[in-house]
Parts: sequence; C-alpha cells; structure tokens
Amino acid sequence: MNLVYHYNSTRARSARLGRLLGKKPILYLCLLLAIALFAFWIILLIQKMPLGWLCFSGSIFCFMIYYWTIKELIPVPVHDSNDINSLLSNNVLANLPKNPKPKDLANMVQYTNSGRFFAIRYGISSKMLAELVSNLPDDISPIFQNAIKIYQGTQSEEIHGAIIAAAIITSHPMGENILRQMKLEVSDLLDGIIWFNYLNGLVKGLSRRPHSGGIARDLNFGYIPTLQRFGQNISVYGKGHIKTQLHLASHREIVSQMIQIFSNQGRQNVALIGPSGSGRSTIVHAFADQLLDADAKLPSNIRFRQIFKLDAASLISAAPEPGQIEALLMHIFNEAYTAKNIIIWLENAQLFFEDGTGSLDIANLIMPILEAGKLRIILTMDKQKYLKISAKNSTLTNSLNKIMVNPANAKETMKVMQDQVPNLEYQHKVSYTIWALKEAYRLSERYVHDLEMPGRAVSLLDAAGDYALPNGLVTDKSVQQAVEKTEGVKVQQATDQASRAQLLNMEELIHKRMVDQKDAVKTVSDALRRSAAGVRNEKRPIGTYLFLGPTGVGKTELAKAISEVYFNGENNIVRLDLNEFVNANDVSRLIADGAEDEMSLTAQVMKQPFSVVLLDEIEKAHPQVLTTLLQMLDEGILRDIKGREVSFRDTIVIATSNAGAEKIREQVNLGNPLVNYKEQLVNDLMKSGEFKPEFLNRFDEICLFKPLSPADCLQVLDLIIASVNKTLSTQKISITLDDDAKNLLVEKGYDPQLGARPMKRIVQKSVENLVAKFVLSGNTTPGMSIQITRSMLEEELNTK
Amino acid sequence: MFMVDLIQWWYFRGWGTFASGFKHKLQDLLDFFSIGQLFQTLFMPYRQISATTSAEMTGSHISAFLDRLVSRIVGFFTRIFIIIFGGISILIEALVGTAFVVVWPLLPFLIVIGIVLAVMGVTF
Repeated sequence: MNLVYHYNSTRARSARLGRLLGKKPILYLCLLLAIALFAFWIILLIQKMPLGWLCFSGSIFCFMIYYWTIKELIPVPVHDSNDINSLLSNNVLANLPKNPKPKDLANMVQYTNSGRFFAIRYGISSKMLAELVSNLPDDISPIFQNAIKIYQGTQSEEIHGAIIAAAIITSHPMGENILRQMKLEVSDLLDGIIWFNYLNGLVKGLSRRPHSGGIARDLNFGYIPTLQRFGQNISVYGKGHIKTQLHLASHREIVSQMIQIFSNQGRQNVALIGPSGSGRSTIVHAFADQLLDADAKLPSNIRFRQIFKLDAASLISAAPEPGQIEALLMHIFNEAYTAKNIIIWLENAQLFFEDGTGSLDIANLIMPILEAGKLRIILTMDKQKYLKISAKNSTLTNSLNKIMVNPANAKETMKVMQDQVPNLEYQHKVSYTIWALKEAYRLSERYVHDLEMPGRAVSLLDAAGDYALPNGLVTDKSVQQAVEKTEGVKVQQATDQASRAQLLNMEELIHKRMVDQKDAVKTVSDALRRSAAGVRNEKRPIGTYLFLGPTGVGKTELAKAISEVYFNGENNIVRLDLNEFVNANDVSRLIADGAEDEMSLTAQVMKQPFSVVLLDEIEKAHPQVLTTLLQMLDEGILRDIKGREVSFRDTIVIATSNAGAEKIREQVNLGNPLVNYKEQLVNDLMKSGEFKPEFLNRFDEICLFKPLSPADCLQVLDLIIASVNKTLSTQKISITLDDDAKNLLVEKGYDPQLGARPMKRIVQKSVENLVAKFVLSGNTTPGMSIQITRSMLEEELNTK
Repeated sequence: MFMVDLIQWWYFRGWGTFASGFKHKLQDLLDFFSIGQLFQTLFMPYRQISATTSAEMTGSHISAFLDRLVSRIVGFFTRIFIIIFGGISILIEALVGTAFVVVWPLLPFLIVIGIVLAVMGVTF
C-alpha cells in the first residue's frame, strides 16, 4: 500500500489540467475551434491553398484535446491499485498542493461535492476538520491509510472528499468523542459515504439511456383509448427516469415472486396485502420498471408488459348511473385483454369491493376474470380491509395470490428516507441533515399512527420540510416542530430561559391556584421536569398517578393546574367520570370510534394527545373497565374498538378516588403524618377488594390528599377572591376583604366533610351578590376598589 | 509533458474508451430498433387492433378473421419497413464506428501529415 502522494503522478497532472480545460467556455471553444478549422480546411482546399492543411491539423488537435478532456481529464478514472495516487478522486487531486499537509487535505474537502454533502448533512465542514489536524506533512500518511480502509469498507469507487473527512475524524485520538458531541457515531459517517455514493450513482445513471424494448415494444402495445383515459400508465422509461429502488430485501423478494406468478400458468393475479406506508406502491413501481428493463433476465411472456393503475374515484365520477360503471369496467378490461401486454393495477383495491361513497362493488364482475386468469391484475390493499372482504366474500379472496408486505425496520427505513431526500429537497427547496432523518424515524414511530414504516417516517420528513431553519436546513428541530404543530404535543426539550424557569418553579405556579397537598404537587412536578429534560421512559405516559382523599381537597384542581401550567391551558384536559362506566359493556363506550362517540377516551386522546387525562371516581368503574385501562397505564397505548393504537405517551394520567377518605381523615385527626400511613391504606384498599393489586401497581405514585383545615380554607378563600377579581378586571374594579370578613366566610363555609367546595358557594352567595348590587346601583367607577367588611357580609347573608 | 500524457492516453485508455463508447451506442441503436423482437412479432396485428372480442361475441367469425388479417398485414409491412430502415442505420453506425476505431491510432499522425503537406504546399 503506497501512502505517499505524488504531485506529478499522471492522475494528479490530469486532474489539474482537467480543472483548467474542463471549464465550459474553454471546452466549448475547443469544440468550436475543431469544427471551424475543419470547415476552413475544406474551404481552403477548394481554394487550392496549402495553408488549409494546417487547419486540418489544428482541427484534429482540437478534437483530440476536447475528447481527452471530457473522457479523461474531467472524470480522471481511478486505477485498480492500492496506491493512494490511483484512488484519490479528481477533485481531491486537482486541489492538493505539492507536499500536502493534513491541513491542506482538510481545506480541500470543501471543494468536492461529497465534502459539501458532508458539510450540509453532517455538519462536518472543512473549517472543523482543519482544527482537528496538524500542519506536519508526515501526519498525512495515517489519514491516507484510514481513507483507503474506509474506501474499501464502503465499496466506494474512489477516495472522495467525504472519505477524507471521515478519515480525518477517525484518525484523531478524540474522534469518537467529537462525533458523540455532534450526536453522531463512526457508523453514521460510513452510512453517509454510502448514501453519497448511492446518490452519485443515480445522477451518473441519468445520463445513460436505459434499454427498454424500443420500437418493437411500442408496435406490439395495444390500442387502448379508454384505458388511457381512465388509467395511469406507471411504466415509464427513457433517459432521465430514475428506476425505483427497493431497499428492503423482503420487497425485492416480493418482486421476484410477482415475476414468478405472472410468468407461470395459473391465476394471473397478485394481491399485495399490507398496511399503508409499508411500500406496496413502491413494489408495484419497481416491478413495472423491471418489466421494461431490456437488460433484465425475464421470461419472455412478461417482458415489456406495462402496468396501468385504475382509480375507483375517477371511474365512479365518469359513470355515475347504475350499470354504467360495470359497462365501463368491462370495456376497460376487454381493451386490456386484447392489448395483450397490459397488467391492471387496482390501487386501494378495497374500494372496488365495497359499497359506499367513493367505492363500488365489482366482485361479481371481476371474479370470472380472476378465475379465468386471462387478464393480469395486481391488487394492493390494507390487511384490515382484506380480512373484511374475506369475511364477506371468501371465494374472491381465495382466488387471489396473496403476498404480505411487512413494514421496514429502522435500517431499511433510513435507506428509504435517504432515497427520498433528493425528491423532498427538490419539492421544498431545502437541505435535510442526518439528524432530521434520525429524528423523523424516532418521532414518527411515536406520533404517526395511520401509516407504517417506512411511509410514516417519510411523511414526517416531508412535513418537516416546511419548518426549515432560515439557512434552508431541515434539522431535528424542524422535525420536532412539525410534530408539535401537527400533533399538538410537546417534543422539544425545554431550552429557552422562560420554559426552564417555569419547570423549575412548577410547584410555585401550581400553588397559585391550589392550597397545600405539597407531596402530590411535588411528585407531579418532578414527573413533568423529567419529561421536559428528556430523561423519562418514552414508552409510557409522562406519569400515572392515583390521587386518594376526601372530596373538595384539590385532587381535580391539581389536574387542572397541571393542565394550565404545562399542557398549554386548562382546556387540554381529557376528563372522564368513571361513575358512568359501571357496567362491563361500558368498555365499548370507553374505547369507541371517534366517528361514533367523540367523547370516548380514545377519541378524545386521539384528538388531544398532549393533555392531562383525568379519570374521576375511578373506584366506581366496573373491573372490566379498569382491566382495559391496564395497558394504557403500563405502555401508554390503548387500542380503540377498531384496533387502532391510541398513544397516551404524551399524557399525564391522573385517577382520583374518594376510597379511604374516612381513614385518611381519621389519621389526620389523630395527628399522624400521611406519608407513614400510605402503605397501610393501599394494603387496606386491596384487602377490601376496592382495587386489585395489579391495578394499583400500575401507577407511578399513589398520592394521599389530606382534608383541609380552617387555615387552609382561609388560603382557599384568598384564591377564590383572586379569581373574582380576575373576572372583575374587565370592568376595572376590584374587591378587598378585611380579615373579619374572611373569618366569617371561613366560619360559614368550612365543612370538614366537603372540603373547599362550600367555600365557593358561600363566596358566591355573599361576596359576588354584594358586588353585583354595587355594580347595578351605579355606585362603582372604573379603578374603584370595593372594601368588604364583616358587617356587609352578615347583612347580605341575613337577607337570604 | 502535456503532449506525452495526451499521446499516452490516446493509444491506451483513450482507444479503449472510444471503442467502448461505440459499443454502447451500437447497443442503444439495437435496442431502439429491436430488430429481433420485430422479427418475432412480424405477423402480429398492428398495435393489437382487431375486432376479435366484439365480433366473436356476435358470432361473425369471418368478419373477425378478416379484421385480424388486415391488422396483421398492416403490422407486417410496418415492421418490415422498420427492420429495413433500422438494419441500414445499424449497419451505417457499425461501419462508421469501426472506421473510427481503425482510424483512431492514425489521428496523431494526421496532424503531422497535415503540417508536412502544408509545408510542401500540396493542393488538390
């Protein structure tokens, strides 16, 4: 292995000359000169002037230079050798000085396409690389050695800028640490090189004209005016067409199976069954491309067949009257049959086998065609729909050659995303970074539920294109923003000062609207801080809590406070009174489809995935209902009645119960701290059969709420008065109560059994009524503060 | 050095590159005219146009036969024409390409010859 760079090697000289002569104006001038001199030669020869021979020589010389430049000096093909001089790419060679130092190598990266690719997508710029390397010429050999290893490992065609960049980083003793700081690994760099090579290969392939059957194929292609009107030919070919790439081994296997099925005698149909987003359409497109590839080894009876996609909606709109659609379809199928070389593709095939808006049932029409096997048909449909059709018409499904399409894994999905990036970049006019791709995979797994991988990750990546940074880069932040905007959840870690302060002072903020219950408030605040800092288990809800205690002590109020402080407002609360779910068959109401019952738990959380789920009076729910909730508490997933997964992973689940309230009160009256009593109470509740152990074990924490004391009620009163003042603020008036007045309200409103609730009623009866009379009597002016005394309240209460 | 590099490339990699480019062009032309396919389908109906289905359904087999016959004759003549035209095009391409491959090593000499002829004052 020769690691010494030779400035005067043939390839290096060619690269430098190519940089000069390869400039378009010079290249065109050279060609123009060759043509012009040739023309002069002929003219001068006719004029019998011997000088014409010099033009002849010049013309040939210019042509030789031109041809040499485009075929050798610009591409500078690599030589088959382990010599660094034979493997470096043209851009690298053209920009390396004599006796290059590692810094020169780092600076050169920016002049290569692959180097720019790395700078944009991986944030590895020449500037950064230059800081990692020395200025000693001897230090360049280890980098070259690493580069050759990476070149071999990634099966690259040449050592280009990206390989040099990766070699510089991996040669650095702290290379892995540097990458870790950038949330990258060495394997990411290698994947990046393979990604660049793949895209580069696609671009190179565009200049080659694919072989696809030529005139003979067109002459054999049937005359199909109706099919051309209602169908879409997906078999495209010609220069500039990029063949559909299959990155999943299972998908390639499916295409082979399809070739086998259609080339054999027997049922000439294939039903691709799989969830949306799993790549069914991509498989059909790849199959279509393969059929048109003259260089592919295919049985002659399917070679050059073309695939026409039929769309149920356009057919229905063209033939709205009963019977018309059947006649139209028969005509289309006849055309396809007589044309001989057509494969019909029914995309979303379920629409052809069910009655309803936007669909039609042609099972009776299509059955004889499927059974006869005269016309080749591909059907793609959802597994759920397939099962539904199968239950309705088993003869139909039995006559299909079913092939299951399974979702892609993480590695395959990354490949598919990398494949799609050029299209998305073209559409959005942005550049995607590797972090955007990784984040799209991670977040789509959690938040995109209607599609399967790789479709779900690609759809999120597409959405993120609208949230590019001002420099046109789509990063992980863009993906997070896309999820937050479309799903209404909070996925970005709290980074700004205000959010951090809010989280760090969560308890204080909550206590602005509720009194005491410090343990419960702290427990819940801790959970929210863990979530915002990204240290929680993402496969579960943010937190699951059971609040036990008497009525009116702040259990529901705490849920509302959390919703207001953390979940963007008090409205982001999904509240269910479980005393309405006392029968076993109420389970179906709990998980009902949103279209039938928008107030079901699953429907509400589907609409509001980022919320507080408050399950009130849980002890009153039927055991079957509680069993249904187990998976939700455990994994943050609940399936609705249609089997769709609904994620509770961005919710905080709070169940409240009055169970054990009397015992809590007894303990408080005895002066025992509730912390010590919690375990005993839980045991008692399990023994008494009020809750099953497996249910209680599912909660992160069980919080006991103590009854409110008269002193607590005084604080509650302050909060209620503050709330009244907030309401009055629109009229620019306020109220203040003197201490005697407050004591009177606490005397009248305090009820150890009912907690703070009577306080609200007494304030309404006394204070609010008093203020209403003041306002109506015209004795108030904007900016006025009404001082309420004990006697005023007594008078108001006595008038009742 | 410049001329040495050019001449060296011209007689080694350059010649091979040109021959390979010529081969690809010929393959593209063969694919475009697809003469083998045209021979295989010589008597097939032109663009599969025939009244087969409707005519056979109504029982008029003779009409369907005649209809198909006309379509086959049209198809035959179209294909024959393309075979002849394509054959000639491929032949020309092959001859021109081969001539270039043969002349290739002589091009540098032609430069010298041109200069010599100019110096000698040769005219036609």
